Amino acid sequence: MEIAVRECGSVMVLDLSGRLDLASGSALKEEVKKLFGQNRTYVHMNMAEVEFINSSGLGSLVSIMKEVRLLKGRFTLSNLASYVQEIFEITQLSHIFEVFPTEDEALASFQTVSAS
Amino acid sequence: MVKYTFIYPSKVEVSDRMLDDLDRVIAQQGIEPTIAEHLRLAVSEAFTNAVMHGNNQDPSRLVKVGVQVEETVVTADITDQGSGGLARIRRRKPPEPLAENGRGVDLIEHYADRALFREDDDGALVVSISFERNKEEQGKIT
Repeated sequence: MEIAVRECGSVMVLDLSGRLDLASGSALKEEVKKLFGQNRTYVHMNMAEVEFINSSGLGSLVSIMKEVRLLKGRFTLSNLASYVQEIFEITQLSHIFEVFPTEDEALASFQTVSAS
Repeated sequence: MVKYTFIYPSKVEVSDRMLDDLDRVIAQQGIEPTIAEHLRLAVSEAFTNAVMHGNNQDPSRLVKVGVQVEETVVTADITDQGSGGLARIRRRKPPEPLAENGRGVDLIEHYADRALFREDDDGALVVSISFERNKEEQGKIT
């Protein structure tokens, strides 16, 4: 899996591509931990290029979300392929995560929260 | 019928190689995209369980992945070299909403047309996953 990190205002955006499984999930958690170390706790992941995810990959996202909650930050996802979206629904994680159709919509939601 | 057999050490990082091998089988045999998607996920889940729980990430213990491709069915058998795997599966409970693991077997059972869990004579867990091919074609009245 490749992970590219960019800054969009107060939100750190991670572009993920490839397979998200046990090995890459650990790398992803480490990458996000670095952001937390810089007090960057508004995190968005664009999943458009994620071609495969399994339950271990889902577990790494749950782990990140729990950390974000502890740090009073926010964690959103966008651009899930239909197959990935289906797995989120089967595992009922679609109720747990904030999932947006597009990155723009996700980032706009951060502005709304900041403004309110 | 075409049969492939792959053997891997029990290392987390080997999962990429296993998926690459599976992708080659899928391409060579022209397995339908939806079945291919579900096959990759189900085999990946069984493989992860074999590496992590069956073989406890001991690289000297092996995981065997056999894929059998027939005209009407694709079957994958994932075998570890551990013990007590069947009992572990039988006593599993639904994961808590914020659990970081425990969803793999449910995903296998959701996507596979048939999922069988058994132990061989050595006590190793064998997960056998089948997918029916051309279901729409078979359902047509001629």
